[in-house]
Formats: sequence, C-alpha cells, structure tokens
Amino acid sequence: MMSALMEQRPTAMQRAAHGDADSFALVLDPLLNPAYRLAAVMLSDRMAAEDAVQEAAVKAWRNLGQLRGDETSLRAWFLSIVANECRMARRRRWWSVVKLAEVESDRERGGLTQEASTDLRRAISKLSLDERLPLVLYFYLDLPLDEVARTLRVSPAAAKSRIYRAARRLRSDLTLEEVT
Amino acid sequence: MTRDSFRRDINREFDAISGSPSPALSARVRSALAEGRPARPGPVWMAGVAAAVIALIIVSVLVASNINRHQTGIVPGTIPSPSPATSPVVSATPSGSPSPVASPTSPAGAYICNSSAVGDTNAPLSAFVNAVRTGTHTGYDQVTIQFSNGQPSDVKIEPQSSATFTESPKGTPVTLAGQAGILITITGADGHTQYTGPTDFKTNYSELKELRQVQDFEGMVQWALGLSHSGCYAYTFLTNPTRLVIYIQQ
Repeated sequence: MMSALMEQRPTAMQRAAHGDADSFALVLDPLLNPAYRLAAVMLSDRMAAEDAVQEAAVKAWRNLGQLRGDETSLRAWFLSIVANECRMARRRRWWSVVKLAEVESDRERGGLTQEASTDLRRAISKLSLDERLPLVLYFYLDLPLDEVARTLRVSPAAAKSRIYRAARRLRSDLTLEEVT
Repeated sequence: MTRDSFRRDINREFDAISGSPSPALSARVRSALAEGRPARPGPVWMAGVAAAVIALIIVSVLVASNINRHQTGIVPGTIPSPSPATSPVVSATPSGSPSPVASPTSPAGAYICNSSAVGDTNAPLSAFVNAVRTGTHTGYDQVTIQFSNGQPSDVKIEPQSSATFTESPKGTPVTLAGQAGILITITGADGHTQYTGPTDFKTNYSELKELRQVQDFEGMVQWALGLSHSGCYAYTFLTNPTRLVIYIQQ
C-alpha cells in the first residue's frame, strides 16, 4: 500500500502514514488551491468552499490507509473526497439557488463581451453539481483525462462523455473534437 | 468556437466564481488536521434554532448544578487517543464576579467571559512548549499550545478590555492588533528550548487578530491574544500530545 508514493515522497508520506498530521498537512498543501477552486465552483460560495476543503482534508487524513497507487492518485483521491464533501454540504444546506451576486462582484470580463459572459454564467449556474464537476476538473484544473476519470471513478471513455455532455449544455454547437 | 477559446471563456467564468482561497486556509487545514476534528458546518437558521434550544438546556443545567468549568481529556469528535489520558488533579478556578455564560457551543463546553486558572499537581518541573498553532472554525477561533512533557503546573487565562500588554522582562508596553485581549500566563514552563516557531502570529481571523509571546523568562511563559472585541472563551487540556486548546468565541 502506498509503496510507490513513499518512493517519491519518502519522508513526508512515510511520516503521514505513521500518523504524523503535520507531515500529511505538508503533503496536502499543494492540493489545497485546486481543491478550493473545485469546491468554490461547485458550491458558488467561497466560505463554504473553504469549509468543504477543511472537512475533506480531515476525512482524507482519517482514511489515508485507503489510498492506493502513486502520487497522482493522491490528487485524484483527495479531489474526489472534496467533490463528495461538496455534495454533502449542498444537501446539508439546502442549496437550491446559485449565488450569482458573489459571482458578479469581482469577475473580470477580459475579451468576453458582457452579454456573452452573462449567458455563459447563466448556463453554468443551471448545471447540476455532477455536470460542473467534470468541466472543472478538465478545463479549470487542467487534469489529464485519465485523472479526471479516476476522480469521477469512471472509465476514461465515460469521463470524456461526461465532459462533452456538460460542455454541450454551455455551448450547443460544440463538437466532441473541440471539447476533448 | 475552438477548444482553446471555449476553455478560456469557461475558465474566466470559473475564476470569477472561485476567486482565491483566503491566506489562512492552509493554516486552518493544518490546525484541523492536528486536532483531527472536521470543520463544523456553517450557520443556517435551523441549526441556529437547534443550537439555541440546546444552549438554553445546557445553561440551565450548568446554573442548576453551579458548574462553570470542567476539564476534558478529549474533544468530542476527535480521533481517540491511542493510550488512556492521564488524569492529574486539576482545579479549575474561575475568579472575579460572575459574568454571563455565552452560548455553550465550543468543543470544550460553555464559553466563559472572566478569568480562570487551572493547575496540575503532577506537573513536570518545567513543561516544554514545542508547538503553537492557530486556527479558525465556524463559530470560534482557536489557539493551541502544545507541551512535550506534560501539563504545566499553573495556567491563568485573563481577558482584558484592551489589546495592550506588557512585554517581560523589558516592561515595555506592546499593542497587538484588535481592540481587546486575553493574556495566557503559563507558570512552570519553557517556551524557547524546544519551540522554534514564530512568536508573533498575525492571524487576522474574525475574532483572533494576533497571537504574540510577551514573556518567556524564569519559568513563566505568556502569550497575548489580540481580539477584535471583548470575547468569551473556553479551554481544555488534551492529551497525546499534551496541549492547551483555547477556543475564542466569534
């Protein structure tokens, strides 16, 4: 278990595997930013996103023994815990409305026209949590397809299909080749 | 529509939604991992009502039984310690005039708003501080002072109405961030032999604004807390490792 991982991160991971919380925090630290961005987009609430990441980190720590594979498995494994935590948080808090006000407050429109941006934003807000997830993983966090698949716990073909279906809900004229 | 432009557009939207994590996130996660305790869900109106009802019941019980403080060996929800917690003779001695007991929602029980002290008759000659951490959670901010060789002989926790403290042994006044403060005085302790971390944490949490060591001299260690306003707190000693955890009510 975790043998390959320990070869790459011998000190911190070994200490973490033996119950050293500080070492686990060290290993997890580079994953906090992508985890936060995933949670923030899924929940549309920055404070709740940080809560979800913290909760996920503690759950990951408690279940570290279940981790299998190499270092890339750690990222996919942790992000899948974050995604689960977002689902639970959303159920717990009865989230039914996306908080567009917060989205509006500090967005940077860049080259996108305001109208097009508003349309895209509105389309994103209509996506379900499970539709947002593959888009965030693939486009926003820039994970390779096989890692997206591992995070979603599906095959690469199924992951590709989910990305395409969700993307088509944002831009109906997209082709599969353009998306993936 | 090319793949790149689609990616650019959607990422711009995602960026607008997520922003950046707060600088405190890493410390917050580290603290939660050290405590082994998950974050509490944020307040919602139903949870608030439930908490108020529970608070009312607990306050009634506390008042009826004339109990202000207690010491716990473990915080509910933590990973159980691998070995049984030692149970030294401990006296919690709240002092000063009675003050209102705030909502008892800290992991250590009811918040208290006046001074308190705790002692351990089995304390080592000098308890060595080997870690100091801060964290913020829904409902409270947290300070953890960890000892390598057991609980110190005496700890006093004294709230005050300003954030100005005296740095010892120099005797110079030092003003921390915030409008009020709490002074933690640990007698029979050493804060420099094993502890090499920062002695000034500018946390800027909602309640705990700054944590600074103001004395480490002749067996007495003092940490001062700068708070956004006069707040109540709760505390407990946890074991494996031994640590004093102070919860500052937000």
